[in-house]
Amino acid sequence: MVSKPTLLLFLTLFLAAPIYCEVEHDYLPGHPPDHLLRTADLPSDHFLGGDLDNKPHSSEEGHESGHHGFEIAHVDFTRVEGPFVISLWIFCASLAKIGFHMAPKLSNVFPESCLLIVVGVAIGLLLFHTSSVSVSPLTPTVFFIYMLPPIILDAGYFMPNRLFFDNLGTILLFAVIGTIWNVVTIGLSLYGCGLTGIYGFELPILDAFLFGSLISAVDPVAVLAVFEEVHVNEVLYIVVFGESLLNDAVTVVLYNMFDSYTAMGIENIKYTDLLAGVASFFVVAIGGTIIGIIWGFLTAFVTRFTNHVRVIEPVFIFVMSYLAYLNAEIFHLSGILAITFCGITMKNYVETNISQKSHTTIKYAMKMLSSSSETVIFMFLGVSTVHDQHAWNTAFILLTILFCSVYRAVGVIIFTELANHFRIHKLSGVEKFVMSYGGLRGAVAFALVLLINKKIVPLQPLFVTATMSMVYFTVFFQGITIKPLVNILKVKRAVKRDLSMNQRIHEKTLDHLMAGIEDVLGRMGNNQIRNRFKHFDNKYVRPCLVRDYKVQNPKILETFTKLTMKDAVELTKKNRTVPSFNSFFVANDSGSILARDATNATSFTHIDANGQWNIDLGEIEYCPSTRDLTDAKIHHLLSEELGRSHHRGSRRLSYSRHTLDDREFLNAEVNHSQRHHVRRMMGDTVRKQAQRNSRKKDDKKRDELTQNGSSKKLHDDYVHQVIQETEGRKKEGENNEDLDGITFTARGKRMSDQQVSVLPPVVITTNDPDVEEIDPEIATPTATETQLPWKRTEDDGPVKQQEFPTWITNKDYTAYNSPTTTFLGSIKTSMEPTPSVINLFKSEGDDVKTTSISIPEDEDKDAKP
Amino acid sequence: MEYIRHYVANLFSDIFKDHKKKLQPKEMADIEKETGFTENQIERLYSRFVSLDKGNYGFLTREDFMRIPELAINPIGDLIISSFFPERSNSITFPQFLHVLVHFQQIGNRNGEGLTSRMKKLRFAFNVFDQSCDGYITKDELLSVLQMMVGSFVDEKEISDVAERIMLEADADRERGLSFDKFCNALAKTDVEKKLSIKFLD
Repeated sequence: MVSKPTLLLFLTLFLAAPIYCEVEHDYLPGHPPDHLLRTADLPSDHFLGGDLDNKPHSSEEGHESGHHGFEIAHVDFTRVEGPFVISLWIFCASLAKIGFHMAPKLSNVFPESCLLIVVGVAIGLLLFHTSSVSVSPLTPTVFFIYMLPPIILDAGYFMPNRLFFDNLGTILLFAVIGTIWNVVTIGLSLYGCGLTGIYGFELPILDAFLFGSLISAVDPVAVLAVFEEVHVNEVLYIVVFGESLLNDAVTVVLYNMFDSYTAMGIENIKYTDLLAGVASFFVVAIGGTIIGIIWGFLTAFVTRFTNHVRVIEPVFIFVMSYLAYLNAEIFHLSGILAITFCGITMKNYVETNISQKSHTTIKYAMKMLSSSSETVIFMFLGVSTVHDQHAWNTAFILLTILFCSVYRAVGVIIFTELANHFRIHKLSGVEKFVMSYGGLRGAVAFALVLLINKKIVPLQPLFVTATMSMVYFTVFFQGITIKPLVNILKVKRAVKRDLSMNQRIHEKTLDHLMAGIEDVLGRMGNNQIRNRFKHFDNKYVRPCLVRDYKVQNPKILETFTKLTMKDAVELTKKNRTVPSFNSFFVANDSGSILARDATNATSFTHIDANGQWNIDLGEIEYCPSTRDLTDAKIHHLLSEELGRSHHRGSRRLSYSRHTLDDREFLNAEVNHSQRHHVRRMMGDTVRKQAQRNSRKKDDKKRDELTQNGSSKKLHDDYVHQVIQETEGRKKEGENNEDLDGITFTARGKRMSDQQVSVLPPVVITTNDPDVEEIDPEIATPTATETQLPWKRTEDDGPVKQQEFPTWITNKDYTAYNSPTTTFLGSIKTSMEPTPSVINLFKSEGDDVKTTSISIPEDEDKDAKP
Repeated sequence: MEYIRHYVANLFSDIFKDHKKKLQPKEMADIEKETGFTENQIERLYSRFVSLDKGNYGFLTREDFMRIPELAINPIGDLIISSFFPERSNSITFPQFLHVLVHFQQIGNRNGEGLTSRMKKLRFAFNVFDQSCDGYITKDELLSVLQMMVGSFVDEKEISDVAERIMLEADADRERGLSFDKFCNALAKTDVEKKLSIKFLD
């Protein structure tokens, strides 16, 4: 068990190292190291910048020296070098990840980030000793432009909005004031210790603050990586994680401020510069946020019109949020804030506009991008550690780690005290501890420290080493110990909550209730602000950004859809007796059912009241077995799930041109009508009586709704009716010799001539006279029921009966000329408000389905009680 | 002359009003003991009460509540207003007003323990739904709440399906509806204590 992961790890190392070394060999040793530091990254920059052509092709030189004949095979590594190396990095990192998760002992103790750093270090060592040059693939450009955005976008887009905004005050307090506190205290303390001469060198105060500004920010990548595995309660998580996201603005501003101050020199700084620093904070933070929100709205607006080109929907989401990031970076605003808020803003609108499949695509693509870039970041961090530029100073580094930890804890204690004054959910002592313990530093700090100009700040190598140590300390020591500590301290964990309709509704109501109470009290509270925003959103924003704006509270219906879908899946999973779903879509299945029934010998022994043999194959008796009933249930379920999906226009199942297979049950859209049938089938028999009550109502409604053509709903209804009646009868008629209490036999047409206008050509023979009492609702004459002969009782009075077999009244047959769909027939039924070509084809496809389904159902219906 | 009389009358009414505005110390102590609000909180709430009481009657009517602009846009505003009023009464006095608000105190608050338990909070929420006060949330009651929240655009049938589903899920009694016990079960995993709490300013 241990050998496999180890093997994988070694494989990773050996694959990665030699090829990267080969890349390095192109650059001659002897270059100044800082130059190398830059050029080492050239390949990836070239690749990502897309200008591969600028590269010298070393193979061409080989051509010139040798003979000029045509070569059969040709080695030209430099041509693909850039992308090749990048792919290899990602491949290796992912491979390491697989290996890590194959060793459960390892992954239980260490967070993933630790392992990746270790692998990175191993690769770095290998590179270092084989190529004897220092390699640092993690350059600030690559990090900030390519690797950070996917992670932050993922965080923003999947941000639990509600939680985030409920705790926004606390988060901002920590992100802004808390970070400033850290910068000032760490900077001052390091400077103060410097005065005592403990380091053995002089630490200028501005350098101390510069270092303090980059080391004090909690890193979102590290926090995500560690907290994802710890599963603390949501509030705690969102406070730490939100802080790490939002402190970016502060970090950026303070870093830039001190960076330029050091460049200016301490004697040249005027008060205006300090004021400019403060002003710049607001510009950077608010500017970044606004740019993000604008791009978010734009994205939502664009997706409003993508319903004809579903495949490119994800492109907009990714590209436009990336644009928001870059756009903010153009003006040196906070890109992290921009992309976070872009994600938060667009999410709700985009989700209603895009198709279910695009949603899945976005979800997976985003997770994939962010996790691979996270993987690569940690690995690069490891690789970057190994170089010979380290300037180790024990006192400085230890003091850095000490001050970072201590002031983090002190800051947390002070600010939670402040925040708790306004909070309903008070942050407890244990939570405070986890918050201060969760102040992890990571790649952002490292990238920033690399950005420092060595000529201006000669201490840069020491800062790099100190940052590295700090990162290692937090990621390894705190990252590893946080899990056991959380267990020991019994921190409230995240509760796994099942989706439930009741919870959804009641919680929504409670929110409104609280907002109302706050109104009564005349105070601005979270609930009230939320309600106001929702009101505004529903009234002005949604109508602009959402394509089919209908529902004020879409979450309720969404939950409903999800739950019914789950029920359906569960039910089908339970019923293993069903050979395959596909059989339900095969039209001639009805033939086999018919044949099976026909071969049933009892069918022919039945003689109706007038002594006539019933030999009409079409109206033979229906003897449902349990399996038939299951079949019917599932059939019914699936036909509902699939057949009618296109009726709900807002989020379609699919866009036909580009999708391969639309019969995906899990992702299928649910039609909201009749969904409770599903539930009903899963429910207890106790509820039956009550259900009938409601069905009575439903039947009436349905009849009004489906007068025109579609008899499918009616089919469904009757399938249920049969199922329930049969089950009920089995219970109640236990003592009856004949379990099939009722037998209906159609009368031959010949002899019913006189009766045609008076009586239906069916005689009802009831062995079980209690049926009516058991289920009086069934007999209530709805429009359909009076038309269906076996539903009628004598006292219903005469009904006009046509001289045709009963199935002739089935609208499916009359709408088209034959049971198989004709093109024209489908046009009729697809007369939706906005008929488009797509609709036409789509509904045609559906009709094929429904009619093919309807054949067996008709058999059932005609013969069933 | 006319002007002076008017002025005096105004002055008088002002004094009178001011007099009314202050709670008597004894009254205050009683309320404090009963509800667990602090003196400051009660004074704050009282001034809010007075400012809502546009007619200076010393009690609030439904109309007074409806005049709150935010409550007018609250989808379930009517229900919230009704929850303040005892059955069939059309006005509430200040102590009654406080008795409603006491439900929203944070749990763990000194004296109000008995009034602010989880059950009490739940009971209050339940009564918001249960407009007929018969101890059961019927399907029609649920339906009306849903309709208020989802808006008028949605098909009535669809909402009724949702309501149906809710009733089934909560295992409600078909005839009578959702009982309080079932309601509590449905909300077992919700942090009602935190959700139904308000930070009353001191």
